[in-house]
Amino acid sequence: MIEEIYDFTKLFGANLSLDEDPVLKKRDRYFFIDNALEKLPGNFVYAGVFLGKTVKSKFSPGFELLRMIAGTEANRVVVDGRTEWLFVCGRDIFKQGIIRILGSGRKGDHVLVMNDHLECLGYGIIVVDLDKVQRGLAVQNILDVGDFLRREEEE
Amino acid sequence: MSGKQFFIDRYAKLGWKYRKPRLKQAIRINSTNTKTVPILDRLYHRGLKLEKIAFLESGYWIRKPKFSIGATSEYLLGLYSIQEAAAQIPVSLFTSLKNQKVLDSCAAPGGKTTQLADLMDNTGVIVALDVDRRRLTALTNHLERCHVRNTVVYDLDAREVNRLNLNFNHVLCDMPCSGNFATDEKWFQRRTIEDVKRNARLQREILTSTVQVLEYDGEIVYSTCSLEPEENELNIDWAIRELHVRVESIEAYGDDGLINVFGQNLDPSIARCRRIWPGQTQGFFVCKLRKGGSA
Repeated sequence: MIEEIYDFTKLFGANLSLDEDPVLKKRDRYFFIDNALEKLPGNFVYAGVFLGKTVKSKFSPGFELLRMIAGTEANRVVVDGRTEWLFVCGRDIFKQGIIRILGSGRKGDHVLVMNDHLECLGYGIIVVDLDKVQRGLAVQNILDVGDFLRREEEE
Repeated sequence: MSGKQFFIDRYAKLGWKYRKPRLKQAIRINSTNTKTVPILDRLYHRGLKLEKIAFLESGYWIRKPKFSIGATSEYLLGLYSIQEAAAQIPVSLFTSLKNQKVLDSCAAPGGKTTQLADLMDNTGVIVALDVDRRRLTALTNHLERCHVRNTVVYDLDAREVNRLNLNFNHVLCDMPCSGNFATDEKWFQRRTIEDVKRNARLQREILTSTVQVLEYDGEIVYSTCSLEPEENELNIDWAIRELHVRVESIEAYGDDGLINVFGQNLDPSIARCRRIWPGQTQGFFVCKLRKGGSA
């Protein structure tokens, strides 16, 4: 059950270790439930830490899982303030907005996007080898915390 | 029986002269996720002018924001929440929340649930209930945004809470209510006294069910954003007699609860409740009840 989460984690070159016992799959959603919560009735709609969900056979992470991955040696780019703002508005990242690259900067790899406080804003896919360009499109936005606002608007 | 004049006359009989409120927008720092000084510094550099709310631990007024305070990275990262000042009071009234089992009986959209989790430092357990699918989605989004880890959400009417076979040390009854004109421009056109009475009945039913799952000597914080005494003092007067709860003294912003409502004398301990007439905050009513024993 937990393999889907580990497979996703590996996309970032990270090794995340989770106890399997507290991970619960409820319909298509994964939750990490600690000791105090696990004795409660199981017919909940949400519990503990939301790790992610499977949408059309594809795993889509929760933001807490991204934060957990960010705490490991995962691929990360740190972006400047203007790029942070554009990224949470759903935009892609240009090379000139990247302040630091931690881990792989290879084209095709997944990368977490961090602000200059090292808080995880979301993730994307590197679209060009980052060490070979100075300008232009660098990371394609896959998911960002602006999603919370977009969800509110959908409601 | 409805209309602006009808309700304004009622408020006058309760001792308050109607005036147009000047609501101020407020935020609450999520202290589990950030330290207060750095987040205030970050918001200051974004151009937000903040002013500490004297009667709240983590609440700040926002002065004339030039952009949406619900669209900053700091908000989206769960470092603060947008929460009306009076609405921040109820959760702050509980004593020693850490490692406790807490029921949030009418939890959506989740502002107070995330405040509970923050004060509990994500320890213990919050059981959060609500019934509407759309409201539950808003609640779970708030929990995820604020990094809440200690909460279980059920799609369950609070009147049926005994189906969970759980007992609690603390219960938050932030009741569904008639609301007030300060946050709803068309309130006076929309509301009738029949709505108020219907809501008061629903509140009594919820209070009855939640008292049943409260441990002896446990605490209930009861709140509404209604100004109508049927949903406030009269319900608490009824609860003292029928549910054997007592009203605790609290230190909180607001006027004493009314002990005479339209000529009817109520239990004197109801003065320990807090009634907030609209001004810089919305209208609000809050009190802390304890199960069993005598005052």
